Amino acid sequence: MKRALLAFVILATFLVLPAASLEDTPSKYRRARQRMVDHQVRLRGVSDGKVLAAMAAVPRHRFVPQALKRKAYEDHPLPIGSGQTISQPYIVGLMTEALKLKANDHILEIGTGSGYQAAVLAKIVKMVTTIEIKEKLHKRAANILGELGYNNVEPIHGDGYFGQANAAPFDGIMVTAAVDHIPPPLLKQLKDGARLILPLGNPFSYQNLVLITKKGDDFITKQITGVLFVPLTGHALDKNNRKR
Amino acid sequence: MILVTIFLLSLSSLTFEILLTRVFSIAQWNHLSFMVISIALFAFGASGTLLSLLGEKRAGWEERLTRSRPLKVFIFLYTATGLLSFAVLNHIPLDYFRLPIEPVQSVYLLIVYLLLSLPFFFSGLIVSLAYARLPERTGHIYWVSMTGSACGALLPFLLLPLLGEGRLILLVVILPLGLILLRDADQENTGGSRKSSHRVRTIASLLMAIGIGVILGAVNHPWVNALVNVTPSPYKPLSHVLQYPDTEIVETATSLRGRIDRVKSDHLHVASGLSLKYPGPLPEQTAIFNDGGNPLILYRRDAVGSSEEGRFARFTLSFAAYHLLPPRGHVLVIQQGGGLAIPCALSSEAGKISIVASHPHIARMIERHYRLPVISTTPRAFLAGTRDRFDIIHVDNSGNSLPGTAVLNQDYLFTRQAVSEYLNHLNPQGILTITRKLHLPPSDIIRLWATAYEGLESIGIDHPERHILVLRNWDMFTLLVSPTSFSDTGVLKTFARDLNFDWVYAPGMSKEMANRFNVFDTPFHYLALHDLEEAYRMGRADQYFKQYLLDVSPQSDHRPFPNRFLKWSRLKAIYKSTGSRFYSLAMSGEMVVSVVFIEALVLSILLLLLPVFSLSKHRSRPLLPLTLYFFSIGAGFMFLELFFIKALMLLFGDPIISLTMVLAGIMVSSGIGGFCSQWIGLKGLRYALFGLAMVLILLFISLDALVHHLLRFPDSLRYLFALLLLFPPGVLIGLPFTLGMRYLPESPAERAYAWAVNGCASVLAAIASMYIALSLGFPMILVCAFIAYVLAFLSMNNVDNLVKSITDG
Repeated sequence: MKRALLAFVILATFLVLPAASLEDTPSKYRRARQRMVDHQVRLRGVSDGKVLAAMAAVPRHRFVPQALKRKAYEDHPLPIGSGQTISQPYIVGLMTEALKLKANDHILEIGTGSGYQAAVLAKIVKMVTTIEIKEKLHKRAANILGELGYNNVEPIHGDGYFGQANAAPFDGIMVTAAVDHIPPPLLKQLKDGARLILPLGNPFSYQNLVLITKKGDDFITKQITGVLFVPLTGHALDKNNRKR
Repeated sequence: MILVTIFLLSLSSLTFEILLTRVFSIAQWNHLSFMVISIALFAFGASGTLLSLLGEKRAGWEERLTRSRPLKVFIFLYTATGLLSFAVLNHIPLDYFRLPIEPVQSVYLLIVYLLLSLPFFFSGLIVSLAYARLPERTGHIYWVSMTGSACGALLPFLLLPLLGEGRLILLVVILPLGLILLRDADQENTGGSRKSSHRVRTIASLLMAIGIGVILGAVNHPWVNALVNVTPSPYKPLSHVLQYPDTEIVETATSLRGRIDRVKSDHLHVASGLSLKYPGPLPEQTAIFNDGGNPLILYRRDAVGSSEEGRFARFTLSFAAYHLLPPRGHVLVIQQGGGLAIPCALSSEAGKISIVASHPHIARMIERHYRLPVISTTPRAFLAGTRDRFDIIHVDNSGNSLPGTAVLNQDYLFTRQAVSEYLNHLNPQGILTITRKLHLPPSDIIRLWATAYEGLESIGIDHPERHILVLRNWDMFTLLVSPTSFSDTGVLKTFARDLNFDWVYAPGMSKEMANRFNVFDTPFHYLALHDLEEAYRMGRADQYFKQYLLDVSPQSDHRPFPNRFLKWSRLKAIYKSTGSRFYSLAMSGEMVVSVVFIEALVLSILLLLLPVFSLSKHRSRPLLPLTLYFFSIGAGFMFLELFFIKALMLLFGDPIISLTMVLAGIMVSSGIGGFCSQWIGLKGLRYALFGLAMVLILLFISLDALVHHLLRFPDSLRYLFALLLLFPPGVLIGLPFTLGMRYLPESPAERAYAWAVNGCASVLAAIASMYIALSLGFPMILVCAFIAYVLAFLSMNNVDNLVKSITDG
């Protein structure tokens, strides 16, 4: 009996200890957020002050499930239920920076997901329209964004493949839903000179980002490698890179 | 009673094991189903360990535990834990992807592992008890156990399409208890009290009635449905698609080959490799999923071809080869996922389109949808049996978007021999075309290029590099291979320029052509292929493959794992080059297998060492040779079984069909061997091992040629000959265990220990076989089986003396 009790106590300690390590206090989260921005985003080369400030301000832990809150500021993507993920902070920073945002921009996001990316965009630009096809996700994200007071985010439940023609053209489009081709309707809804960005690969191991810039009737596609893949020479967190 | 019980439990537990692999394939990932095999074999081993520990403490245990009442308790526990473990597996919030970040997931995994092992433990316990109690009937016990297992292997083949995974699991788990209780009631009716008989009969009938009601779907309660329905992993494409509005599964078919779901939705928009220059809409689509993944897209029939929407196919990378198709040309589509090949062929106005799909149900769906004839057989068997020549062979398989999850999948479409076969079936100007995902670091693209090169070499082409072209967009690449060199690529240059595709490889191309429209910081793929071509030209290809970060060497029919790229020797470098994130490596099936192996090793040592300290110190024979003997024959049996499962997959065309047929064949034949052992003395063991060694040598020399020859035969004959091939070695491997079990251990406890050793060896050999197949190829598994049986022979260490000691004793 004593042995069973001891085993129970050890098991309970094992499960409870990690959860207790990050208390649910705003200052603790603020410090974790700042550390995230400094160590995971800035050190890897994201230097746009607006992006860094936005990421330091948006409470990422509010967009993840309760059980994973203490992991919200760690350096990896997180599953948020229903087979969805919230991207690694660095990916969010890199994608946001790649759009070269201006304060008056209207951005279209395809795939609201947790709503975190829309919140980061909303801190920088005038208006964000975000479309999510999965109703459950749309409702959850819309609620959180509403609670946090992001009034410049318009969450829409619908098929993002067709964009939002009545609000077009956009200054930038971010596609965070899985696609195997760039939807032609989205390309038509880009302003001249505007950018469209999407990550390639699965959410757990993005390999690179695809950045498309509209130049008249032409599109220039640029692959931003180094998100995950650093070809044979080193990696993003090498000591040399840290010194930058 | 015990022989009937063993038969029923063997049947039930093997069906349960096969069905659990299906459940894991749907609800998790394919490679996790590997865990089930280790769980089952370990539980068998653990039952032997427990009995051997018990054996030295209490005399006469084997007699007491094999009486009717304890046996019934064990059967009841088997059924109860079987039901419980399946219910828990189906409902526990185990999320494989949360494992590295959420400690409670490890607890869930442990719960699943332990619960799933319980039914196998009770099943193994009864078999182990029988061996311990009745050494003189070892052959009979082995025979009923093996024939029961063989029937269990075939049962899902027959019943899965009718009942589905969940209901069939309920049936097989309840079956032994229900039948034993009914039989018991009958016996008590003749000899026992009428009241007791009536009670047992009522309980048994009630249990069977509830079971049959649930199984046949008569009890349609939400709780029952929640218990029996197996839901695909939320990360799988099917689960995502089903979250779209107005989306539904319109057709489902379950079989051993997988669960096929056809989904209708207005929100499916799939067109891999579509050019940014395509301005129009896509045709309406439906999707077919296999086990919730590997989607095959079917485009609206009347919109494919020359209509406005149908033009989309002409804007895809896959269409490149069709620009070189002669008028009224003959196209062969090998359909395995994807879905663009048929629209491409229809848009090209080919004269004749032949389609081959290996899954019969998918073949029927394609045929119905496009109103085109579809041949349902394995592509390699089709090619081996046809004399037709084609202008285009289009292998429609775009590869896996989740690198690592398909590592363990055997695939014979992308081996050197497959490419040779394709090339041999092309007209002189014909083209083989394959479009796949573009990955970084370059991996698949290098392997396919090298496979094409070596395939061309094998049919006597002098400068293979002149016969290969590769184009890409930002996400996909297309490989074109022809028996005739590509001297004029003008049409393709225009196609690439107009649709903004880049060249990756063409004879004599410049670096500038590689990075024009879809710009990488460096043209990684072009450089990789350029270096590879140079390496082949200079005769340094081996060095190239050795030095490259990943294993990208071409695969052969002996090692057909086209999705496996991990090099253990470069693990640190791979980890760094993929961003120093554990996630990207944790996704690999190979990692899962290695974790299972380490865990198996630790558990084996524990299970084998525990009884050593408790077994009698007054033995007349040392324990080590006994341990080594049973370890060797356990490993040898499993090596041989795994070798056949893998090597014969080319004939059976599907891994799970191969598993089922080989298990059934080996178990029936080894059961016959075991049965015959009743009339063979210990001396016969030496001849059996010698004969087995000879058969293994013969197999090593001749099986490869035989398999490739049999590939030309019709499906039924191919299956029959494959089963016949199993018979001689199968009968012989039934002898060492039964003869050893009858003559070598001294006490019931030692027999139980021998059973535990056999179980542990089986699980370690099963996992080791996977690694050997991945890294060295199947023939080496056969070599390991040979070594294991030689070791068994040697571990008997002077059989004559042993026989003498037994005779004297």
